[in-house]
Amino acid sequence: MNGVPLGGYLLLGLLMFAIGVLGVVLRRSPVVIFMCIELMLNAANLTFLSFARYLPSLRSDDPAMLSRQAVSGEMMVIFVMAIAAAEVAVGLGIIMAIFRLRDKVDVDDLNVLRG
Amino acid sequence: MPNNSLVILLLLLPILGFVIEAFLGKQIVKSSGESGKRLLGAVAVLVVVGSFAAAVKLAIDLAGNDPSMRSQMVTLAPWINLAGLKVPFEFLIDPLSITMALIVTGVGALIHLYATGYMVKDKDYSRFFTYMNLFIFSMLVLVTAGNLVVMFIGWEGVGLCSYLLIGFWYSDHANAKAANKAFIVTRIGDVGFMLGIFMLFTLIIGQVGSGASDGRTLSFDNLIDTLPGVMHSHPSVAVIIALLFFLAAVGKSAQFPLYFWLPDAMAGPTPVSALIHAATMVTSGVFLLNRLYLIYEAAPIAAAVVTIIGAFTAIFAALIAFSQTDIKKVLAYSTVSQVGYMFVACGAGGFSAGIFHLATHAFFKALLFLGAGAVIHSMAHNQDMRNYGKLAKYLPITAITMFIAFLAISGIPFFAGYYSKEAIFSASVGGSFAKIGSVNFGQIAGYVAIFTAFLTAIYMARLTWLTFFGREERWRLIEPHHDSVQLAGALPECVSYSDDPNGWYKAIEPESNATEPEHTLDKDHEPHEVGASMWIPMVILAVLSVVGGYALDAGRLEAWLYPVAPSSVPKLAEVPWVTPVGIAAAVLGALVGGFYYWKGLPANEGWNMSKWNPLRIFALNQFGFNSIVSDGSSEAGKEIGAALNVGVDKGIIEGILGGLALCSTGIGDLLKKLQSGYARSYALLMLAGAVVLTVWIAVVGYRGGF
Repeated sequence: MNGVPLGGYLLLGLLMFAIGVLGVVLRRSPVVIFMCIELMLNAANLTFLSFARYLPSLRSDDPAMLSRQAVSGEMMVIFVMAIAAAEVAVGLGIIMAIFRLRDKVDVDDLNVLRG
Repeated sequence: MPNNSLVILLLLLPILGFVIEAFLGKQIVKSSGESGKRLLGAVAVLVVVGSFAAAVKLAIDLAGNDPSMRSQMVTLAPWINLAGLKVPFEFLIDPLSITMALIVTGVGALIHLYATGYMVKDKDYSRFFTYMNLFIFSMLVLVTAGNLVVMFIGWEGVGLCSYLLIGFWYSDHANAKAANKAFIVTRIGDVGFMLGIFMLFTLIIGQVGSGASDGRTLSFDNLIDTLPGVMHSHPSVAVIIALLFFLAAVGKSAQFPLYFWLPDAMAGPTPVSALIHAATMVTSGVFLLNRLYLIYEAAPIAAAVVTIIGAFTAIFAALIAFSQTDIKKVLAYSTVSQVGYMFVACGAGGFSAGIFHLATHAFFKALLFLGAGAVIHSMAHNQDMRNYGKLAKYLPITAITMFIAFLAISGIPFFAGYYSKEAIFSASVGGSFAKIGSVNFGQIAGYVAIFTAFLTAIYMARLTWLTFFGREERWRLIEPHHDSVQLAGALPECVSYSDDPNGWYKAIEPESNATEPEHTLDKDHEPHEVGASMWIPMVILAVLSVVGGYALDAGRLEAWLYPVAPSSVPKLAEVPWVTPVGIAAAVLGALVGGFYYWKGLPANEGWNMSKWNPLRIFALNQFGFNSIVSDGSSEAGKEIGAALNVGVDKGIIEGILGGLALCSTGIGDLLKKLQSGYARSYALLMLAGAVVLTVWIAVVGYRGGF
């Protein structure tokens, strides 16, 4: 792991995720919320990758299985990125549409589904 | 042994006709018009004639047997098959059932033949014969049934056909309502029939333990053995069962409290009135009493009720008949009255006299209705006798045959009605069957019946003279009257049929001309004698009305029906004055009636109802009875319905449902606070959920719970 221990990556991931959560909950601009969601997704990605990097270094009776699991962790990152891209495309489209409709985008104004 | 295939033939031929008429009739009429109608009519008549032939063959076979061997059960198929109760489709061929079958198919065939001419202009020709053939089948099931349950099938079947045929011209609101009235009122009696079966079954099971050894507890051949013992050990229950079955008979046979559907049933086509509401179905109550005579033997109180109700109905309906101006209504009340005679006989112990009068009545009353139909047919469908007069000139055959029927129903010596009425008088006056304590109810009923015979002769003379004789051809003298208009002005009709606020009775096909073709009667109207298909049945029935009484003769019929005389019926006392008094009543009545109406319509019975005798108007209103029962029950039903609506429906049911609705609204109000609409609060909730889930996983995982 090139000198940086696993815990360091995980701590960074945790920090990024926490910032993302706080951003989603506290900020009112949808663009910023989107950015925070991306941050959370990438925190998860970082965690996936660090475990994938870490796993093969373990000692095991079946090292081949460990490396297969590592590869699946890396694959998961690819999926997440693809989904994030799709989500952004759709979400930004919605934001643009709302902006055209209202000239102002504030998530707290979008409360027509209130019970 | 009776031939099974003959029984199948007897029952299946009418059903075959029914199937042909029902499924092919419309196409045949549509594709080949008049000739198609002729073909369908021929089919309808021929199946009934075939059925009649089968009945004749069965009767001849039966007569060839020893009298003790004349009751045979034919089982065609199993049906209800329980451990304690077996009810197969079985049919009892015995003198009683075969006599009824002969009347039903014989008179039925003649009336079918008549109807082929009477209905020829009708658009729904095939539908008419569909119902008629189905009726013949149901009636045959009713009379030949081998157990009470199969009999009930026939009982309901004839009720259904009666309903369908009364409402045959259904697009007229009045006809649909009359059909409903008939169906609903007879339903009251049917409840009695069912309760009677249930009580009888329970009683036999309770008494004998397991009912009949082969499980067929309700079959007549077993009942003959079990009934006397069971009934005599429970006399009070026997009275209740007897009264329940009598209730069924009262409903079906239009006896006193439940008589008022029959006059309204005249809304049906005239052949229907002749077949169902005169000759066969309305007399099935008398048949039921004969079938179950063992119950009445054990219950003299019930027998007294039967005979008194019969006598009261006889005189009550005869009095109403005096007030009627509609020719068919007179005959309807006359039917009610004559069926009352049959109940007088049955209640007084003269069961065979009841069947005797049933048979002769089937002849002359069917003839009277067919004659009335011929008159109506030739008088542009005007049924009011005040428009008739002197019709003998135009309708000679109808006039002669109906005059014979008039003599027969009045009981003039040597015509059919004379013999059967004499049998009833001597059975009731001379008998002591319905004697409770020192009061002989049969005797009282007999006196009433003799007086009613006098009344019968008068009102039948009124009908005959107003229609066929007199000096004036009244439809030429006065502007045509329509009784509905006249009645509406002079006197409120008991039941108003004109309103249809809900549109329930509107015809489905508005373009269908589902009424008798109407063309008004006016000064230039020339009545014509009806065609051969209509007068031939009338002539045959007229012959039967003359010779039928002598041919069947009370003694002969009794020996045929009851070879072993009912044990508990006391021997008749010879009352020598009965026959001369009966003859005197009939002859005197006919003479009084004939002279009174010699000139035609008296002024106090004419169109101006304000000149009517108040008593006659009272009779026209059925002595207030119809309005009390019919309107009273519907008004009371409305009141009960309104009370239930407010109390039960609005109060309890809607209360429960409304409470539930309020409950869910409250819960919803609480839950809706969560749906703030702020996306960020949802995100916070999700975060909280994720935190809780994570902590839970961490804690449980730490404890090694996975």
